[in-house]
Amino acid sequence: MYMNIDEIEQELGVMQLSDSFFPTGIYATSNGLEFLFIEKKIHGMTDLVKLIRISIIQQLGPSDCVALANVFDSANKYDFDKVIEADSIVFATKSIKEIRDASVRSGVQLIKCVVEFVKDDKILNQYKDNIVENKVHGVFPVAFAVCCNALKIKKEKSMMMMLYGFTVGIVGAALRLGLIQHFEGQKIIHSIKPIISQTIKEYSNKSLSEIWQFAPQIDIVQMSHEKMDSKMFIT
Amino acid sequence: MTHIPRIGIGGPVGSGKSMLIERLVPMLAEKGYSVSIISNDVISKEDADRMRTNLATNRGLLPENLVIGLATGGCPHTAIREDPSMNLSVIEEMESKHPDLDLIIIESGGDNITTTFSPILADYSIYIIDVAGGDKYPRKGGLGIESCDLLVINKIDLATMVGANLEIMKKDAKKIRNEKPFEFINCKTDEGVMKVTEHVIHGVLLDSTPKSAITQKV
Repeated sequence: MYMNIDEIEQELGVMQLSDSFFPTGIYATSNGLEFLFIEKKIHGMTDLVKLIRISIIQQLGPSDCVALANVFDSANKYDFDKVIEADSIVFATKSIKEIRDASVRSGVQLIKCVVEFVKDDKILNQYKDNIVENKVHGVFPVAFAVCCNALKIKKEKSMMMMLYGFTVGIVGAALRLGLIQHFEGQKIIHSIKPIISQTIKEYSNKSLSEIWQFAPQIDIVQMSHEKMDSKMFIT
Repeated sequence: MTHIPRIGIGGPVGSGKSMLIERLVPMLAEKGYSVSIISNDVISKEDADRMRTNLATNRGLLPENLVIGLATGGCPHTAIREDPSMNLSVIEEMESKHPDLDLIIIESGGDNITTTFSPILADYSIYIIDVAGGDKYPRKGGLGIESCDLLVINKIDLATMVGANLEIMKKDAKKIRNEKPFEFINCKTDEGVMKVTEHVIHGVLLDSTPKSAITQKV
């Protein structure tokens, strides 16, 4: 079966937003991995897979993915109040300051970049205006959903892109820290695929009131990273 | 939002980026300009902490919260060129909270001669090298040395000790930079630093009056 022109353009949008070349500053985050590495509390590939798995199952899936999916549904109904609500809930669930700040910084920069080349999307423009007027925070999952929707990327694919981006971000950080080597990085990404697909299946149709996240040990690790004197990563 | 002029200062590790900033800021402050500093560090907050202590805590030349250290995830060049998002985010915050600032200095702890700043991040850039790398340094070129607005060659007092010929460096710098400016300095004694300050006032601040002076007149 051939792809039509619209489908090809949508796929190019997927590639553009998924590319690590896309400027959101995420390369500077390790989500606490740096602290685990420096403290010698993580050793190689198996541990790293566990960390990514827990982060997706206990944090990104039930919180960021649910918010992303809801923003998609709200955008299709032009229900901007729901977009604001999702933004506010995600901001509140990110209890670690360093992580919350990084999410807002990345989200805002993502929106500011996409409005440079997508000019005709009502929700995107409204969200950008609300960021400028300090009426919304601009957290990454909501900003990502707004941008994917503006580029006509489908909901499930957007969830997939966000989770894949998170995985690649941590694997990239692990490579730069010297925790793993490059083949192992690709093996990890491959091994996480079933977690990503299962997460998308589970969280694509939950309501905003069902958002939760619970990974206290990761929270403590991320708080400890905040206090490190010498560090290479923002988170 | 107010656009505050921004200057990028890049150069190899140990070339004297932070030291140059520590010399520049008092000279600019003396003339009434208020400055903030973002230090993109490769691995630690050491440079930011030192500048904060020396310029803010000890001398009160700027508030402590206007010296910010930024981690770059091991990608110092990316943070100022391909993806300056995190720097821009911090700058936007400064522009919104401190519109009275005259200048934002962005230091990049890059580690090689290809460092350049994205034009959206810095309006003007200085690349700093030192004579201890040998007098071949300017001749070797590289994006940083060739494309910056001002090339600064530091630690000229060490030239005789390391066998570096300043005349050769001068001739090569002139040739490789197509007549664009360069200055020889010694941050330890302030030799030549006033000339760098004048380049900044002219090239970045466009000889404008400090904002504080305008406010006082009003």
